[in-house]
Amino acid sequence: MFVSRSMSRKVVTIYKDATVVEAREKLDKHHIRHLPVVEKDDILIGIVTDRDVRSAMPSVHLQSGHLNGDGNVLADIKVKDFMTIAPAVVTLSDTIQDALLLLQEKRVGALPVVDKQGRVKGILSVRDLMRTFIQVLGIGEPGTLVGVVVEEKVGQLKKVVDAITEEEISFGSVLVAKHWDKNKRAVFAYLLTLNISAVKRKLAKLGYELIDPMDWAIEQPSNSD
Amino acid sequence: MRRTGFLFDRRFLLHETGPYHPETPERLDAIYKGIEEGGLFDKLTVIQACRADDAWIESVHDKKYIDRFRDTCVAGRKVLDYPDNQMCGDTYDIAYLAVGGILKTIDKVMDGTLDNAFCAVRPPGHHAEIDTAMGFCYFNNVAIAARYLQQQWQIGRVGIVDFDVHHGNGTQHIFEKDASVFYYSIHQHPSFAYPGTGREFETGSGKGHGFTKNSPALPGHSDSDYQSLIEADLLPAFENFVPEMILLSTGFDAHEDDDMSDINLSTEWYSWMMEKMIELADKYSNGRLISVLEGGYCLERLPELARNHVTILLQD
Repeated sequence: MFVSRSMSRKVVTIYKDATVVEAREKLDKHHIRHLPVVEKDDILIGIVTDRDVRSAMPSVHLQSGHLNGDGNVLADIKVKDFMTIAPAVVTLSDTIQDALLLLQEKRVGALPVVDKQGRVKGILSVRDLMRTFIQVLGIGEPGTLVGVVVEEKVGQLKKVVDAITEEEISFGSVLVAKHWDKNKRAVFAYLLTLNISAVKRKLAKLGYELIDPMDWAIEQPSNSD
Repeated sequence: MRRTGFLFDRRFLLHETGPYHPETPERLDAIYKGIEEGGLFDKLTVIQACRADDAWIESVHDKKYIDRFRDTCVAGRKVLDYPDNQMCGDTYDIAYLAVGGILKTIDKVMDGTLDNAFCAVRPPGHHAEIDTAMGFCYFNNVAIAARYLQQQWQIGRVGIVDFDVHHGNGTQHIFEKDASVFYYSIHQHPSFAYPGTGREFETGSGKGHGFTKNSPALPGHSDSDYQSLIEADLLPAFENFVPEMILLSTGFDAHEDDDMSDINLSTEWYSWMMEKMIELADKYSNGRLISVLEGGYCLERLPELARNHVTILLQD
């Protein structure tokens, strides 16, 4: 679960002396929302977002007049004037979990990925993370969700996983969630099969309570906060 | 009484899926028993299956996939692509027979010999992709039927209604860019049920945008929810599309006693649904309607469900 596996390697960057018009053109051309600002050798010095660019530019309704008439007005606005200096970054060996928590902490939409020398090696956006999570959940592959309630005791999850594995069923993912009963946990297994009845019967026979997913559609009393 | 065909062939029982598999030959025995106990065989035209021409299988599936299926089968291997797809040495031939039987049934309906038909085939088809076997399915029977209707019988617009409890990913993908085939599916919500596709926002792409419609139903939903979805989603869609021919992917696995899903339909809902489908066929396709079996695994319920299904096809 490392950043290097999930990031986009093709990074569109910009120099600090480029104009706001150039920045906007790059964003539009590549359908992206973040431009790491680099100097020589791809060393990261800042980042600009489509929002920064839009705030730095006059309204689109004025834009054509400015561009066609006196283009110098916009030519004077440089990336270095509105970029965010020293933005939040992750390194190649940081994990997806690091990136996820950092994105939330910093409230940003993308993190440049840099090597030890501070050179840009990639970029990890919320979109990349979404793709990663579709993989993590396994839902890009055909399967069925089964929910089981287990006791909050060491070794319970193993029993469930073993019971399912014995049926020669592959796992797309297993998520463990808090249960509203403090002494229990809810295990949601995404199983890569259509052949679900036998394993459900087996789990029930072993004494596990199968979760009615609709019980989770309404908010349950929380035991944590 | 309508002239109703019943495609049934003992050879469909030769496709063996091994122990602990729900898609068993006994399913067809149960269907046969239900129809027999209803005394319906005198009223039906029983159709024997025959092998499909390669060209029709290839109208949907990649040649390489078909060859891979054959080679896997001939080599005696028991699984194709996913562990769900358990098979035996006869599976490849039986899959050809199922398609061939359906095409023969189409000929009889289209040349006016029959009004409608129920094709009780195995293996099922709606999960089969162009180049992948999935969810107990090898050849996409209904997709091939739709292509056959268009190419052999010059039918312009084909409407497919899939009420198996699982989304027919294969059928959707085969026609998602095609505006001449409307694919409608009602199924258990893909976040809870196989195969994880068939969300509301999947509506076709390119020229086929707007010609796919999915009605996902949450676990626990039952007759009234399903009825509302059919009325709100399917009926207006067909009103716009105006199908010239209707194919049904019939799955009995949304029944409350079928443990393959958490949808709780009653036997009565299935009768309501079929009466609705007959209405649609009368409205759009001169009464012509072909129902093709997909899932449905509750051996105790299949007899009555199949009996009612056929009884409604026979009714004037």
